[in-house]
Amino acid sequence: MSLVNLSAVCAHLNNATKARLGLTSIPNSNLHLKLSLALQHSGYISSVVRGGPTPPPAHAILGIPAVNDRFEGIEQVTRDNVSSRRLWLGLKYWQNESVLGKIKMVSKPTRRVYIDVEGLRRVVRGEDSGYVAGIRSPGESLYLSTDRGILEARECVEKKLGGLALCRVL
Amino acid sequence: MNVTRPARCLLCSFTRAATPSTRVPRRQFHPTPAPLSNRKPKFPNVKAPQTPDYKPYTEEQKAELAKEYSAAQMAAIEAGEAAIDPKDLAEQMNERSDPMAFKYLDDFSVIEPGIDRHQRAPESNSDYNFTLKTEADFINDFGRFIADMPDNATGADFVRFADNLRVTHGKEENELDPHSALVPDLFGPGETIDEPRVEERKTAAEKGEKERSAEAEEMTDALKSLLLATGYTEKQVKDLRTKTLVSHSVTNQTRLGKIRRAYRLSIAGNGDGLLGIGEAKSDEASDAKIQSQYRAIRNMQPIPRYEKRTIYGDVKGKVGATELQLMHRPPGFGLRVQYLIYEMCRAGGIHDLSARVGRSRNQMNTVKAAYQALMSQRNPEQVAHALGRKLVDVRKVYYAGKV
Repeated sequence: MSLVNLSAVCAHLNNATKARLGLTSIPNSNLHLKLSLALQHSGYISSVVRGGPTPPPAHAILGIPAVNDRFEGIEQVTRDNVSSRRLWLGLKYWQNESVLGKIKMVSKPTRRVYIDVEGLRRVVRGEDSGYVAGIRSPGESLYLSTDRGILEARECVEKKLGGLALCRVL
Repeated sequence: MNVTRPARCLLCSFTRAATPSTRVPRRQFHPTPAPLSNRKPKFPNVKAPQTPDYKPYTEEQKAELAKEYSAAQMAAIEAGEAAIDPKDLAEQMNERSDPMAFKYLDDFSVIEPGIDRHQRAPESNSDYNFTLKTEADFINDFGRFIADMPDNATGADFVRFADNLRVTHGKEENELDPHSALVPDLFGPGETIDEPRVEERKTAAEKGEKERSAEAEEMTDALKSLLLATGYTEKQVKDLRTKTLVSHSVTNQTRLGKIRRAYRLSIAGNGDGLLGIGEAKSDEASDAKIQSQYRAIRNMQPIPRYEKRTIYGDVKGKVGATELQLMHRPPGFGLRVQYLIYEMCRAGGIHDLSARVGRSRNQMNTVKAAYQALMSQRNPEQVAHALGRKLVDVRKVYYAGKV
């Protein structure tokens, strides 16, 4: 789990939303894929597609690459092409603002921040807990790496899980 | 070396003459004053008696008084003097200084409904068996009045009869001064907590109306165009909360010299969600003030408010080097913010907020950054649309929509 690469991804996503890009790519890794899927599940990004160095073909109706594209299909990952795979993320905008407002690392490569359920309960209620600031704004979320994958802080509280605080989205 | 005391000859401090009798210990290694050994004064603090001395009138004084007053009045004076002990008079006329003394001035002549104990008619005034008089009873009463009427009867007699005429049979007190278990009304008719003295206010308002009608004839062009642009009436503009927050002078350096002008930054709000800021420069300070206020009124925009008391989420604003953060707070928290933001909240109708102004605290930039922050709030409904998820306000659900 490289937090260096994850920090680079966060910075890249911030730059991409500032540049108003509709589609961007990040290096392929299991961590990036899980976080991207969590972001997609929360609604911050529209699509996550694993593709090559060039953008995968767009869906005929959606206009962006989609995993369930029956006509174009998804290129299979093989031993030969796995090193050139990238994750292509569709970015969302609403009322001239990017939905993924700003993504920021909580843990740093030099300092990993772990938080337990008790602390997370406080954070979800809007209070600070240790190094983790409370979630105090509408549409703000915190993603954690737990035993059961990468989850949002509120899901972690529901499932009574603690873990490594990865990044915060506002 | 100690900062508070100059360096001295070390040996000098041992000689008696070099150390005048001081109560501060000599070796003082810190600037805080040393505690004195005996803080209690040796003698109790004796207060000079302020009680005036009431002496009985002398014979000479009585003779003087007799010139002014009649014999009956003199008798009353003497009786009063005999009745009241001068010692009691001195004690009771004196202003109290004891710990139990009242902290406010009151002559206790009026019973304030909210403060004092309720004054109720006694329960013995009640009569549960009273009956209303019938028409025949009234006719009887009137007949009695006619029969007893003196020969030279006037209208005043009839008015007195009508006033004293009772409408019920039973105890007289039950009708005139009945007992009630209810708490007496806090306000008189027409009074509210905001307007305790309706009559006084009314006269003031009437005065204002007269002045305003005089002003209306000479309404300025600026005000006229403001009313035209905003659609407000003159009274609505008067009722808006405007405040000039920043005022300083600015100079333009020309080859002829410096040209000074007055700068004013004002805010305007209706106290219920509208807020605007306006700035103006003019040669005249008063002119700049009015201009800035009118511009603030023109610039008024709705600020999003959560439950009409605080903001949605924590927001940040930055203008120049001024960076500030506004934080939402629970009900009853109040406005724990600095004065500029406080005034903006008052004008805009925000009641629970805290703020932190970092880096520069320039007044002008603080106001602008606070306005920017207030405007940058994210509406949860829009966030829900953007995310494509359903967001629910837990407070509303938990309290069944009663917040």
